[in-house]
Amino acid sequence: MSGVLTIARRELSAYFNSPVAYIFIVAFLLACGTLFFFVGDFFAVGQATMRGYFSLMPFVLSVLVPALTMRLWAEERKQGTYELLLTMPFRDGQLVAGKYLAAMAVVAAALALSLPVPLMASMFGRFDSGAIVAEYLGAVLMASAASAIGQAVSGASKNQISAFMATVMLLLALSLLSRVTTLLSLPGWLAGLVNWASLSYHFGSFSRGVVDTRDVAYFVIITVSCLYATARLISAGKWR
Amino acid sequence: MIEVSALVKRYGPFEAVRGVSFSVGSGKVLGLLGPNGAGKTTIMKVLTGYHRPSSGRAVLDGRDVVEDPEGVKASLGYLPEGVPLYLDMTVAEYLEFAASARGLGGKERRADRKAAIERAVDACGLSGVAGVRLERLSKGFRQRVGLAQAIVHDPAILILDEPTTGLDPNQILEIRSLIRSLGARKTVILSTHILQEVEALCSEVIILNEGLIVAQGSAEAIGAGLQGDERLECVVKGVADPAEALASIRAIPSVLSAEPAGPGTGGPARFAVTAGKGRGDAVAEGLFDWAAASGAKLLELRRERLSMEDIFVRLTREEPRL
Repeated sequence: MSGVLTIARRELSAYFNSPVAYIFIVAFLLACGTLFFFVGDFFAVGQATMRGYFSLMPFVLSVLVPALTMRLWAEERKQGTYELLLTMPFRDGQLVAGKYLAAMAVVAAALALSLPVPLMASMFGRFDSGAIVAEYLGAVLMASAASAIGQAVSGASKNQISAFMATVMLLLALSLLSRVTTLLSLPGWLAGLVNWASLSYHFGSFSRGVVDTRDVAYFVIITVSCLYATARLISAGKWR
Repeated sequence: MIEVSALVKRYGPFEAVRGVSFSVGSGKVLGLLGPNGAGKTTIMKVLTGYHRPSSGRAVLDGRDVVEDPEGVKASLGYLPEGVPLYLDMTVAEYLEFAASARGLGGKERRADRKAAIERAVDACGLSGVAGVRLERLSKGFRQRVGLAQAIVHDPAILILDEPTTGLDPNQILEIRSLIRSLGARKTVILSTHILQEVEALCSEVIILNEGLIVAQGSAEAIGAGLQGDERLECVVKGVADPAEALASIRAIPSVLSAEPAGPGTGGPARFAVTAGKGRGDAVAEGLFDWAAASGAKLLELRRERLSMEDIFVRLTREEPRL
């Protein structure tokens, strides 16, 4: 565990020693605020709900989380610190988990800083606090899956920008996948499969305030399998 | 203690290391010498657990690099080529990270960690820059941070890939004296293609070429093995007739040839003398006696030894592999 924390601390200091973390947090808050008040039409709708706010969360996270994860491995490779890191007495799993935790900590900080929005909105009406909790849980799980996917892509890239672009495209594709089923009439089993693979489909129930174990399981499976794949990728590199 | 046996490392179809065996004990500094692409860095990457060997074994202090990679990594300090560092961190932050990473992590070891960092900072002369970000440090200081990072946990084994590349002469001397003092207590392997470095630092040398060991032993032993006829050069003042002097030098027993060396116009005469293998001492004596007998004054008498450069060039270019 102490190895994981050592890596997480190192990654966090990298995030906060550079503008990355600050830009991420500010961009996240701006995007969310804009969506909440303008796109979601909070005042015009006249309901004390944050459903509009959270329905666009998959897209905000799809664009912003890759900005956090792109550097995780690509930068180590570029600076040559990859070699030093891999010759320190860490297990591959500890490296991957530490980096994942650091990215999630920045996301968590951004989410925590967005809490004043529901708090302020609650002044205007009676919020369903359960729904808010479900929505935040959904956002955390969604970010977790996104940062695991992003880390896997970064683990396979030498270049931060290509890691960023690839991750954004992958996440947007996964988010938009559920739209396919509304546009095309697919056979039931295929539609089910497409929906199951889609990030926004699973996030959808959270944004309606429903915590379904199947959706939780989906995000956990994506997170764990992507982190595992990253660890395998790194140990495979040693046999080159 | 490092033991390497029949080590082979292939990258795809390319064999970077083709069956290398050696061992180094504690308190020794081993120099890996060879042209670029000879396999020095590859051997180090295998020893540090960064790359796995394709076949063969590497055992460091009883731990095999394949069976116990974390144990191996915990027991060694490594300075990779080019000194990669996290440039966004300060020296103190970086060493804190390195110490935590190398087994001095956690709250309960905070005192040990602090002491270890202080020791490394002092040893590498970094106390003035502890709060400076690495990206603002000069190359020489970065090199020292890289070295501090490698020794912070006081490892029994130190692996240094080209530790003095890119430093100015003063910095090179500093780093060398640091390595020498570390080498007294640890097992050190360093790679270099600076030949004086090997002579200055290493108790043992391995010369590699194209993934194979072409020579192994102390620098003197390797030199002696390659040495053929010995060459002497003398500078003599007060020689009236150089041709006559040459004739009498050639008459000294064991002298194979004697030629004038350098410009012959006025001033002291200079002769290049070749002696038979192992006869250098006898010929030097003979030259001294000849000069004394003929009333000339011997200003200089120099025995040419095979320099590390000569050895290196012979082994990696001219001669067939031993």
